Amino acid sequence: MSAMDQQMITLTVNGENREVSVAPRKLLVDVLREDCRLTGTHVGCEHGVCGACTVQVDGRPLRACLTYAIQMEGHEVLTIESVAANGKLSPLQQALHEEHGLQCGFCTPGIVMTFEAFLRQNPAPTEDEVREALSGNLCRCTGYQNIVKAILKAATQIRLDSGYVAS
Amino acid sequence: MSLPEFHSIGKALPRKEDYRLLTGHGCYIDDLEVPGALHACFVRSPHAHARILAFDVKLALAMPGVVAVVTGEDLAQWTTRARMAPPIEGLQPMEMDTLPIDKVRFQGDPVACVIATDRYLAEDAMEQVRVDYEPLPAVTDMWQALDPTAPCVDETLSSNLVSHQHAVHGDPKGRQRDAHRVVERTFAMHRQTHLPIETRGCIAIWDEGRSHLTFHVGTQVPHPYRTTLAGRLRLSESQVTVISQDVGGGFGQKIVLYREELTVAAMARHLKRPIRWREDRLENLLSSSQAREDFCRTRAAVDAQGRLLSLELEILEDFGAYSFYPGNYLARVVAMILTGPYKVQDYSYDVRVVLSNKVGNGPMRAPMAITSWLMEGTLDAVARELELDPLEVRRINMLHAHELPYRMATGEVLADITPRETLEAAVAAIGYQAFRTRQQEARARGVYLGLGICTVVESTTYGSQFYKAAGIAGSGHEAAWLRIEPTGVVNASVGLGATGQGYETSLAHAVAEGLGVSTDRVRIYLGHTDIAPYGMGSRGARGGTAGGGTLYLCAQEAQDKVLSIAGKLLGIAELNALRLRDSRVEQMIDGAWVATTVSLADVARIAYLDPTHLPDGVSPGLEFHKTYDPPPMTYSNSTHVCEIEVDAATGAIHFGRYVVAEDCGTVLSPVVVEGQQHGAIAMGLSGTLFEHVVYDETGQNLSGSLADYLLATADDLPHIEILSMHTPNRATPGGIKGMAEGGVMGAIGALTNAVSDALSCLGVEVNRQPLTPMYLRGLIRQAAHSSTKTAS
Amino acid sequence: MKPAAFAYLRPDSFEAALRQLSEIDGQAKVIAGGQSLGPMLNMRLATPSAIIDLNDLVELALIRDRGDAIEVGAMTRHFQIAESSLIQASCPLLAQAARTIGHYSIRQRGTLGGSLANADPVAQLSLVAVTLQATIEVVSQRGRRDVPATEFFLSAMTTALQPDELIRSVSFPKFEDGEGSSFQLFNRRRGDYAIVAVAATVALAQDRVTGLRLGISGVGPVPVSLASLVMPFVGRGPNIDWIAELARSVRTAVVPQDEAQIPALYRQELAQTLTAKSLLRALERTRA
Repeated sequence: MSAMDQQMITLTVNGENREVSVAPRKLLVDVLREDCRLTGTHVGCEHGVCGACTVQVDGRPLRACLTYAIQMEGHEVLTIESVAANGKLSPLQQALHEEHGLQCGFCTPGIVMTFEAFLRQNPAPTEDEVREALSGNLCRCTGYQNIVKAILKAATQIRLDSGYVAS
Repeated sequence: MSLPEFHSIGKALPRKEDYRLLTGHGCYIDDLEVPGALHACFVRSPHAHARILAFDVKLALAMPGVVAVVTGEDLAQWTTRARMAPPIEGLQPMEMDTLPIDKVRFQGDPVACVIATDRYLAEDAMEQVRVDYEPLPAVTDMWQALDPTAPCVDETLSSNLVSHQHAVHGDPKGRQRDAHRVVERTFAMHRQTHLPIETRGCIAIWDEGRSHLTFHVGTQVPHPYRTTLAGRLRLSESQVTVISQDVGGGFGQKIVLYREELTVAAMARHLKRPIRWREDRLENLLSSSQAREDFCRTRAAVDAQGRLLSLELEILEDFGAYSFYPGNYLARVVAMILTGPYKVQDYSYDVRVVLSNKVGNGPMRAPMAITSWLMEGTLDAVARELELDPLEVRRINMLHAHELPYRMATGEVLADITPRETLEAAVAAIGYQAFRTRQQEARARGVYLGLGICTVVESTTYGSQFYKAAGIAGSGHEAAWLRIEPTGVVNASVGLGATGQGYETSLAHAVAEGLGVSTDRVRIYLGHTDIAPYGMGSRGARGGTAGGGTLYLCAQEAQDKVLSIAGKLLGIAELNALRLRDSRVEQMIDGAWVATTVSLADVARIAYLDPTHLPDGVSPGLEFHKTYDPPPMTYSNSTHVCEIEVDAATGAIHFGRYVVAEDCGTVLSPVVVEGQQHGAIAMGLSGTLFEHVVYDETGQNLSGSLADYLLATADDLPHIEILSMHTPNRATPGGIKGMAEGGVMGAIGALTNAVSDALSCLGVEVNRQPLTPMYLRGLIRQAAHSSTKTAS
Repeated sequence: MKPAAFAYLRPDSFEAALRQLSEIDGQAKVIAGGQSLGPMLNMRLATPSAIIDLNDLVELALIRDRGDAIEVGAMTRHFQIAESSLIQASCPLLAQAARTIGHYSIRQRGTLGGSLANADPVAQLSLVAVTLQATIEVVSQRGRRDVPATEFFLSAMTTALQPDELIRSVSFPKFEDGEGSSFQLFNRRRGDYAIVAVAATVALAQDRVTGLRLGISGVGPVPVSLASLVMPFVGRGPNIDWIAELARSVRTAVVPQDEAQIPALYRQELAQTLTAKSLLRALERTRA
């Protein structure tokens, strides 16, 4: 057997261990979609520009098109399917819904996964900080305005929910 | 004109589509699981123009997982050629193979298809397909295309000039002789592409037992698409089902049947195995439809006050290598509606469209995108040459309300538009005079502020009569069905194809309004040809008027039947005294509507389960069908005003305020409409600033990745302030007008005019896009040089 | 757009990585953050026989105070550099530059070593390393050597690294007390690679310039330090004329290539503009 052939690996996705057989070259995004049947992570460009494939690894956003699944052994991968796992939208998802922050929805999971992480790190961002962070996610439908509005609204909601006090 | 009172139309409710899309449970093409599906992958030409001499597929066929490798000759046995030959004067007919057999016509032209058990293996094999080419000189710009010695892109044509139309209304040349001044300007718009974040893709499933093809594809026009697909496979429409579920954006790129899709369908049938294909981003940038690329010239004859006496327009458009649409399809609409809200009857146009060795063009959100920049840029030039205020030049030429309906020189009729209102509202909101003061002060400090105004009259809907008049084949009608189920919930469908606009929400408003239920009782089904009625699909901002209008009319008929049954149950003969509201039958008593004991569910139960209680002559069930052909055109209007600063040192543009006043009539869902306004403006600004499909002189595409084809990010766009106006169209159901493309037109014009305004004190103006910092810095540098020369 | 097949190796130590690298002999590619290599692999512009993954070598992700220098491990991510209070205090230019790299998600994954080894002509951290005359610690099974950053970048995408060598860490000299710095770049969109970038540090005493470092990228195949060019400007009072004169001499000194989309003259103008901007900002920070 060549080292380029399929091998069994264990992936931890959304808190669950999964045994999958993958070729080393198989992109994380393809393994999530095809082998784990988690199709919420989308393929938009496969060269790390559009951000549609963003997932979280060990709590930080990561382009699943620039990562090979085999690299993820021993790491915690979270996909969009983990965010409203109990059927209740997260404050960020809820704000995107209320503010019409999505249209075709193809870029949306990547934006949600990016900003679930971002708002943990920066719970009280300015509009400029949000726009800068969002600049790594391309959206062709919305002009971004309502996404920015929704992220700022979600930040406020999360701060209220957590009793956040500005330092 | 006051707006009719609505109970559902115009309510700001969040979208029905969102939950699945927010949680990762949408269903785009690539999300469908199809057991045993093979993967297709296309071998593409590295040359812009070359003869195909030979293929060698032996190595590829021997690769692991490879099932088949086919070329144009193979496919010619299983498919018919495309023919684009509508009877239009000045248009040369064109034909196209399923995959090219004799020669390739652009870099990225697909020449062979590899079918393998997975995409990785298919790409491995693709690298092993050998194609011998004899490179030919390429046509890469439109003036070269017109040269009689230029290479022929399509050798069956007499020249590269695929389409040429010309019209003279009145005596524009004569008016020039009497004019105070004739102001001439050129306008160059660059090649762009739609860039939906979901690329194209399809899955073909052939059922050998039933001789039936199920074809999953993201399409804006499911039924016309199916008719074409069936025809080219020599199948009947009964043998093909087209299914389009969630689609990650279209913007005009997902209308025609592409050659890759036809190939996949033919191969699934030939191999009797399901096949899927997802275009990757490099393919999308290299070979999916592109758009724009026009060079235009206007010549405005004006009097001393800047009043337009006549206008001439010339358009030269680079259409690319293939005719996926008739050559006149895009540019001619620009010529027909150019004058928009301005009074001028002496008008001529000359529209030439040429072929080149680039991707074939198609409509992209606002195929007539350049129109408003042409018109408003011309008026700004008039103002500058005559040293008049550009706002005053607009005011002096603009139609007054009492002049409507107004027949433009081309015969197009404008009605129920409010350009003066949007203009005045937008300039008041931005504080026009105060801006001029600030601009003067800033100039003294070497800071270049600019303000651009662009009023848009947006052609929308495109009824059948317009197509007929414009010489474009096709119909503008739409079809709907509606079914009230036995429990009183409502299912409905039209022939539109959703690509993210929010139809499930906005169309539910139309149904809820026409029927008298709340929107949460309504579910809209789209994009499945076995379910949806045969409609013309989504393009040309027709979703609201054609789709929503047809459903609204259909729902009103449904309400009439419901009330006739309710009347019998209630013993009321005067049906005008009844209405359905929130699924409850109400009766007019002493001038007030009062709820009765009868609900929609009661009526539905009888209609389905107890039809002997129906009134005489009323048939069982509650199923309705309606077709509707909207007026030839409905016009929306808007005025965009944009403030910018040009950084003289770098040529970079920084946005100040962006205000748009828009009147798009009755609005089904204000939430959806606002989203469309934002998106359209963003597309216009992004295209004007960044997006550029670049071919070098040999026809190599230099913009083949998202690091080269630049889309505006959240960091690059201004905050958009919207002033909403709602003048109903008196000829459409509920007063609905189309919208969603005007934002592109207005943004292009407002931003470009703003930059010229900022640089006007230097004596330079912009006449081409994109407005790159290198271009603007070059203009500023040139101005500095010439002023130094003048001074010395 | 799928990569060609490769074998995957995940060494459990830096030494193991060096061993694997020397055994595979030139056909292997080392993957750090993968933000530049990933696209190359997916487009099949790079087709290595094996990938050696350094991502789990936590010992390479460190930031420590070495007295006169800050040592930063090769696998330190851009966000860690940007957020490090040690770097912000002792080598602020590095943090300022790291904040401008790519986008938020890219900075979570991209690494210092990956960026230097990739040697993109306008990469931020390469320019900082050259400007500050950092020292790059390069190791192979044959031993270790220190390469001055100014000698590390040979050409676009080409470095002094031998096929069997890896970067272990980079040492950035610490700033003097009160030394100010600024990293200025110009690009079409925030997050894009720079067209031109300038890095500057200024130290003052009695309102005279006592220390001045200037580096520029985007005007040639590698980032360059303008150490000799700035020499006559040291010892002078840093007023507006001083800034303008220095910016003009930078413009004159650089010789960029003409390109279809970006004329050489434009890059020269940017060199002047960004130099002035970076000096002004660095001086503000000095005085603050």
